[in-house]
Parts: sequence; C-alpha cells; structure tokens
Amino acid sequence: MEPIARALQNNGAFRSLCKPLAKTWVNLSGYRRLRYDDLLREETPIMQEAIGRLNRAETDGRVYRQKRAFQLSLSHQELPYSQWTKPEDDYKYLQPLVEEVTAEHAERDAFNSMTVVRK
Amino acid sequence: MVPSKLFAKVAAPVVARGYASVAKATVASTSNGIKVAAAADSEADSQLASISLVIKAGSRYETAENAGAAHYLKAFGFRNTQSRTSFRTIREAELNGATLTAEATRENITYRVQCFKEAVPYFVEVLGDIATATKFAEHEFRDVAKLVALESLSARTNPATRALDGVHQAAFRGGLGNSLYALESSPVNTGDAVRQYALEALNSGRVAVVGTGIDADTLARLVGESKLSTLASGSTATEAAAKFNGGVQQIYESAAPLSHYALAFSCEPQSAQLLGNLLGTQRRLKWNSGASALARLAASEGFGADAFSFAYSDAGLVGVLVTAPSTQIKGAVEKVAATIQKDVAGATTEAIQRAVAATKLDVAEELATQRGALRVLSQIALGQSATTAETIEEAASKLSSAAANVFKSKPVAASVGLSQSTAYVDTLGF
Repeated sequence: MEPIARALQNNGAFRSLCKPLAKTWVNLSGYRRLRYDDLLREETPIMQEAIGRLNRAETDGRVYRQKRAFQLSLSHQELPYSQWTKPEDDYKYLQPLVEEVTAEHAERDAFNSMTVVRK
Repeated sequence: MVPSKLFAKVAAPVVARGYASVAKATVASTSNGIKVAAAADSEADSQLASISLVIKAGSRYETAENAGAAHYLKAFGFRNTQSRTSFRTIREAELNGATLTAEATRENITYRVQCFKEAVPYFVEVLGDIATATKFAEHEFRDVAKLVALESLSARTNPATRALDGVHQAAFRGGLGNSLYALESSPVNTGDAVRQYALEALNSGRVAVVGTGIDADTLARLVGESKLSTLASGSTATEAAAKFNGGVQQIYESAAPLSHYALAFSCEPQSAQLLGNLLGTQRRLKWNSGASALARLAASEGFGADAFSFAYSDAGLVGVLVTAPSTQIKGAVEKVAATIQKDVAGATTEAIQRAVAATKLDVAEELATQRGALRVLSQIALGQSATTAETIEEAASKLSSAAANVFKSKPVAASVGLSQSTAYVDTLGF
C-alpha cells in the first residue's frame, strides 16, 4: 500500500486535482494570520537551536506576528482579510533549519555510539 | 664563544639525516593550473605525511572594504561545508589520527593536515571540500567572530606583537602593512563578506597544494580528482609592490611600567634571516647572554633586545625589539641604535661567520619539521622567495655589504609606551 500511496502523493496530475480542495482547507483552517512554521512547538532544544539560527529579518517577522496574534487574542479582535498571510509568504522558513539541527544531533549521537573497526 | 649546538654537529660524523629534503622538491601542476609541490621522503620508513592547502589571501590582499577578512577566513577553516559538518571533519580527523591547523600570514592562508600516509587521499578530499564548499553560515559566523575577537584582543594586549604589527604598518602602509588581526573596526560582520573575500582569492593561480611524505605526481592526481579541480582558472594575484617608507614611527600610548620599541630596517627577503642572526640576540647557549655586541650590550645594561626578521615575496624587514622600563627605554634605544651603526653595520668577519652558521642551522632545523618543509614548498609552488640552504649560501657571500647597506639606511619604528618617554626614530642618527 505504501508505495502506491507515495506514488499517488507525488503524482503531478493528482496534486493539481487536489489543489483547489487544499486551498479551501488551508483558508478555512484559519492559521493564515501567522505562518505554518510559527505554529511548530518551540519548547524543545532542537527548535530553540533552529530559531537561534534564523536571520534578523525572519526573527523580526516571527516576533511581530506572535505579538500581533497575542494582542488580537487579548482584545477579541480579528485581523482583516487584507492583512492575512499571503500564500507566497507562507513558506517553510524554519523547517529546513529544524531538519538541519536534527541531522546534526543525530550525527553526534551516531559518532558517540559508533564502533571503530580498523581494516 | 662557540655555540655548543653547532659545535656538536660539526664534531660528529656526517650522517644522512632522515628528513624530507626540500632540495628534491618536485613541482607539478593540475589541469586547471593549481601548482602542486611535494618533497620525496628520504626516510622511506616514516609513516607520517602532511598536506597543505595554501591560498594567496593573506592580509596583504585586504582592501579597506574587507579589512580583517583574512583573519576571518583563517578562522573559517575546517568549518561546515555542503557535504560535511565541522563536527564530522574533526571527529574523522581524530579517528584517523590527524592534526588540522589553519594559519594566516601576511601573504598566505594555510590549511594544513598532518596525518598518516594512508589517510592522505581522504584529507586531500577534505581540503578540496573546504576550499570549494564552505557554507560560511551566519550562525557559524557568530561563533567564529568570538574566536577572532579573542585572538585580536590577545594580540593587541601583547605589546611585542603590537609593536611588530605597528612596524609593518609604519614600513609598508597598505598591503603588507595591513594588520594580521581583524580589528574591532573591521567592516566584515557577515559570513557573506568572508565568502566574497574567499571567492575572489580561490582561483587556480592563487592556490597551491603542497605535501611531504608523498610524491608530487600522486598528489597532483589526488588534487585533480578532488573538488579543487573545479576551481576557476585564474591568474595569480597582482598585488601592489611593497614600498618601504623609512623614517616613520608608529606610537601606541601605553602606561605600562615596561615599554617596547621595535626598530626595523628594510632588506632583501633572501638576506633577512641572515641579518637577523647578525644582530645576534638569540641565546644559543643556556645561561649565557650571547656573544654579539648587541647581546652583550643588553646583558650589561639590563634591558631586553630581541632581533626579528620577516621575509615576504618582494620585501623584507629586519630589526630589533627593545624592552625596557619606561624610564630607561629612551636611553636603551639610543644605545642599541649606536651599537647597530658601529658594530653590526661594520661587522667583523667572525661575526659574519657566526651569523651564517647560525642561519644554516636554523634553516636546517626548520626544514626538518613538517611545518617548515611545507612552508618552503608553498613558497616554491607559489613562486614566492623560498629560504633554503642554497639561497642562504648565496646570500651569505654578500652578507657583509648587505649589512653595511641595510644597517645604515633609515629605519622605521613602533613604540608601545608613554609617548613622552619614547625615542624618536629620526633622532637616532640614521
């Protein structure tokens, strides 16, 4: 089943068929006042390291969106539609860094637990 | 007073020493023009080898917009690349039993690996990786900047280093006069700036790979198979010719009880080391103050005098660093200057012979180390003036006239101490 599922997921025609449904789903989910990567649980060492590696522009944007969201929540207001996150701005700015840090931790663990065999 | 080290070597029968003979160095070249130089090991049963990636990107090639970039580039050696993390590079080096070093001089940046002979192909691949694929990431730059700041602070607070740095600035202004260390005012504050500097320097005309414990053809083949073969073919760097400006003094104000004063003369790079040994302040025998006029003066008057010499591809500096309490520095410097003009410029034949013998010993001892052999090989590969036994011989025959010319010319100076108690270089009688 799994190879079939993967083949279907990667199939271009199937993806373009699902695109309209996906767009509606994302809009109705209501997270597009922030970005998807803002929603990742940040209270882990790996996430903290990844956030520390963001550049200034991304960090500022992240902090601004968080503050805006908190203020809106406090005052029971909603962001007008014109200020929602545009689809082109909702890119994976943090997930690649998380993957990088996870790989580094895994590499360290691998080296720390390896057995050296001399040929 | 015959230095005992030298005496012992002359007395013993001449046995072929087992060290990489740089005289038998061979230079090859890869397809994109990278020069490769290696010295065949005369001791075939040595297990050790070393390889060095040398880039003509020292502080000499910095401009005002990237002042300090050479220091950062050195500190970025063996850091994260596209294909391996710095952690992995270091762990694998440890597992292979190798030492990784990054050095920066005023002309070259050197990334050196000292390893076992079997590991050389792996480390050539690593050197190719760091040359072409270092990430220069921003988060890494923050760590590197801390290291660079520490090194710069250590250099700045060391008065001897500061005086020698200042003497270069006084002598050469830009180019060779640029500081070896990234100052606090350095405009380099992103990884991108360092990458820019590296990319400018990384063309085949400015890069050489040298090795000991391996022959040149094998090394050239390994380099051709590594990522270094993808470097753009470029011409060697056109650096502005170094021009010595005599009679200039750099003054660093310091209220420390000990003052330092570096006095430097311009000389030919081939004779720099010989002239440094002619000044003769190095103690060749323990518990002894040295046989030369300058050493005897320093011992009897109670101040410190240390000769220094620097040889670059088109310029050389030779001089003495005087250390004395602030109340006595002026007198000490004036006495040193008088001694130089009298006893060193007009050196006796015996003093000349001593200097030549001492230099031959120093050169031979340096070439017996991997680091020294690699340094000379890189000079040969990059076409910079190399210091070998042959060049010393040649310069020794002209040492007497060279000394007379050099030590009567106008020197430059750098003083670290109270400016009110310093000696001014134009009053020293040169």
